[in-house]
Amino acid sequence: MSGAALRAVPLAAPRRLGHAGFWLAAAVAALLLILALRGLGSEYAYFAATFVLQYVVLATAWNILGGYAGYVNFGAAAFFAAGAYTTVAIGKALGLGLLPCIGFAAVVGGALGLGTGVLTLRLRGAYFAIATLCLAVVLQTLVVNWSYVGGSRGAYVLRPREVPLGFDSYSGLLCAVAVVLAALAVAIARTIEKSRLGLGLAALRDDEAAAEAAGVPTLRLKLVATTISGAMMAVAGAPLPYLGSYVEPNSAFGLAYAVNAIAMPLIGGTASWAGPLIGAVLLASLQQAATVTISSAANLLIVGGVLVVFVCIAPHGIIGLFRGRR
Amino acid sequence: MSLSGGLAGNGRPALLAHRIWAEEVNARGGLLGRPVELVYYDDQSTGAQVPGIYTKLLDVDKVDLVVSGYATAIIAPAMPVVMQRNMTFVSLFGTGVNSDFKYDRYFSINPAGSDVKETFARGFLDIAMAMDPKPRSIALVNLDSDFHQRTAESARYLAKQHGLRVVYDRAYPPSTVDFTPILRSVQAARPDIVFVGSYPPDTAGMLRAASELRVNFQLFGGPMIGPHITAQKLQLGPILNNLVVWDVYAPEPTLQFPGTQALIERYQPLAAKEGADALGHYVPPLAYTQMQVLEQAVRRVGSLDQAALAADMHANQFDTVIGPLRFDAMGEWTEERNLYTQYQGVQGNGIEQFRKPGTQVILYPPRYKSGELRKPYTAGA
Repeated sequence: MSGAALRAVPLAAPRRLGHAGFWLAAAVAALLLILALRGLGSEYAYFAATFVLQYVVLATAWNILGGYAGYVNFGAAAFFAAGAYTTVAIGKALGLGLLPCIGFAAVVGGALGLGTGVLTLRLRGAYFAIATLCLAVVLQTLVVNWSYVGGSRGAYVLRPREVPLGFDSYSGLLCAVAVVLAALAVAIARTIEKSRLGLGLAALRDDEAAAEAAGVPTLRLKLVATTISGAMMAVAGAPLPYLGSYVEPNSAFGLAYAVNAIAMPLIGGTASWAGPLIGAVLLASLQQAATVTISSAANLLIVGGVLVVFVCIAPHGIIGLFRGRR
Repeated sequence: MSLSGGLAGNGRPALLAHRIWAEEVNARGGLLGRPVELVYYDDQSTGAQVPGIYTKLLDVDKVDLVVSGYATAIIAPAMPVVMQRNMTFVSLFGTGVNSDFKYDRYFSINPAGSDVKETFARGFLDIAMAMDPKPRSIALVNLDSDFHQRTAESARYLAKQHGLRVVYDRAYPPSTVDFTPILRSVQAARPDIVFVGSYPPDTAGMLRAASELRVNFQLFGGPMIGPHITAQKLQLGPILNNLVVWDVYAPEPTLQFPGTQALIERYQPLAAKEGADALGHYVPPLAYTQMQVLEQAVRRVGSLDQAALAADMHANQFDTVIGPLRFDAMGEWTEERNLYTQYQGVQGNGIEQFRKPGTQVILYPPRYKSGELRKPYTAGA
C-alpha cells in the first residue's frame, strides 16, 4: 500500500456547538418560545405548552440516569411528587413563592436522588428498577401520613393575586417558568452528554465491569447522575401545585408520570439529549390533543401504542432511526 | 367529567343526567331562546388534566356557562381557572372546596352542607341514641381520605356530645385489601355501635369480612359508599340487611319531589343501553339538580351575566328533583340533608327489589322517615 494511498482525505467533520454556544442557543430558543406564546396570548396555549414542557424536563431528567447510564428508574413519579410537595411544604412554612420553591425542590430532589443512589446503586438491572419502584411506594405512604402537607386530604396552594414579572396572567408566568426549566434541563443534559461524565456513564452503560477495570469511577459517576436526575425530576414537579391550586397524593404520584418519563426517552432515543426532547414533545402533544378531541382513556393507550410501534420499527428511538440511515 | 379512571363509575351517570337535562330543556325551546349544547371532555379522573380542560372550554370553545365534574379532586383544580374568568360555578359532590378559595360565585350540590362536623353524623347518632337499651360505646373506622376524615371527625365530636365512650378510633390507608384484622380489632373492643367511613372497594371488603367473621353489632354503618352503586348492591345482596348507610336518595314514598321519578324512569333505560349505573339512585338526581339550579338562575336573570347569576343563586330558593334548596354565603346548602337509610329484607341478588320502596328505608331525618330501625347487624347471617 503506497504512502499516497494512506494520505488521509480531510473529512468534513460536522461542526458541533461548544457548551457555551449550546447554552446561548437554548436561551435564545427559550426567549423566542416565550415571546411566541405571549404573542398567541391564549390561556389554553399557555396550559398546553406548560403540560408539554413539564414532560420535557421530566423525560430529560430521567434520561440522565436511564439513558446515559442505563439504569432504569421506575420511581420518576416519586421524585416528581417530591418536588410538588416541597412547594407545598416550603410555601406553607416560609410563605415563599414559586421560584424559591423550585430551588428548594432541586435540593430536596437531589438529596433524595443521592440517598436513593447510595442505598440502591450497588444493585443492577431489574433489582435496581424494583428498588426505585419501592421508593415511590414509601414516599407516597409518607406523604399520605404527613398531615402538615394535607396527608390524604390533599393541600390547597392558592395563586397570588398579583402576577410578578409583568405577566398578564399567572398561567403565562407558569408557562414561561416551564420554558426556562425545559431549556435549562436540555442544556444540562447536553453538557453532561458531551463531558467526561457523559463518556463515563456511556462506558458503564455498555459494560460496567469493563468500565471499572479501565479506571472509570462507576459508583461515583452513578451517584452524580442520580443526584442530578433526581434534582431535575423534582424541579419538573415543583410548579404542579400552582398549576391546579390543589395537590393530593394520588394525582402527584400518578402512574402517568412514571410511564411517560420512561416512554418519552425510549420513543425519542435514549442516547442523546434530543431524544427525550423529541419524545416528550411528540407524546405529550398527542396526549393533550387526545384529551380535548377524542376525550377518552386513550391517553395511556396512545403511550402504549406508540411505544410498541417504536420498539418494533425503531428500537433506538427516533434519533436512532435517523442515525441508522446516515 | 370523569368518563374513565377511578371516578368514572359516578362520572358517567352524572353525564347521562346532564344529557337528559339538556334534551329536556331543548325540547322546551332551550335557554334564553337558544338550544343548549353540552361541551365536555374526559378528565380521566386526574386532577392534573382539569385546568387544561377548563381553559380549553372557556378560551377555545367559548362556553357560556360552566359546571364541575364529580368529586373534590376534580372540582378543586378547576377553581383557579373559573375564578380568573369570574364565572359562576356549580359543583357536584365537593366537600369543603370553597373553605380555602372563599369564592362568592361557587355553589355546591352536596347534601352534607357547610358544617360537616356538627351535622354529618347527627342522623347516625340520633338513631343510635333512640335505641333501647341506649348504647354506651362506639367504634370509629374510616378510610384515610379527605371526605372520610371529615365524617369521622363529626362522629367523634357528636359521640362525645352524647357521652359515648370511643373504644376504637383508627383510619386505614387506601391500600388496605384485607379488612379482617380491622374488624377483629373492632370486635375485640366490644363496641355497641360501629361508625364506618369507606369507599366502594373497601366497603365490599369490609362487609365481606363482617360476613365471614359473623359480626353482631347493635348498629353498624355510616358513610359506607358502595351499596350506592347498583353493581355492589347486587353483589352483596343479603349482607346488606340491617346496614345503616348515609345516602342522598332512596326510592321511598316520603322522598318524592316533582320530577324525581320521571328522571329515574328516563335514566334507567339509557343507562342500560350505555352500561352506566343501572338504578341511578346516587349521582344522577344530584347531577340533574346541578343543572336545574343553573337553568332556574338563568331563566330568572334572563341573561348570562355571571355576577347576576351568582347574586340570584345566593338570594333565591331552587325547586329541584331532590327537593327545595338554598345556598349560604360560602355556596353550601343552608340546610344539610344527610339521609341515613337501612337496607331491609334483601333476598338474593335480584335488581327488582331495589327499585321498590321498603328495601332501603329512610330512618333519618324524621321528616322523610319511611321505616323503623331493625337490629342487630349480622352481615346477612
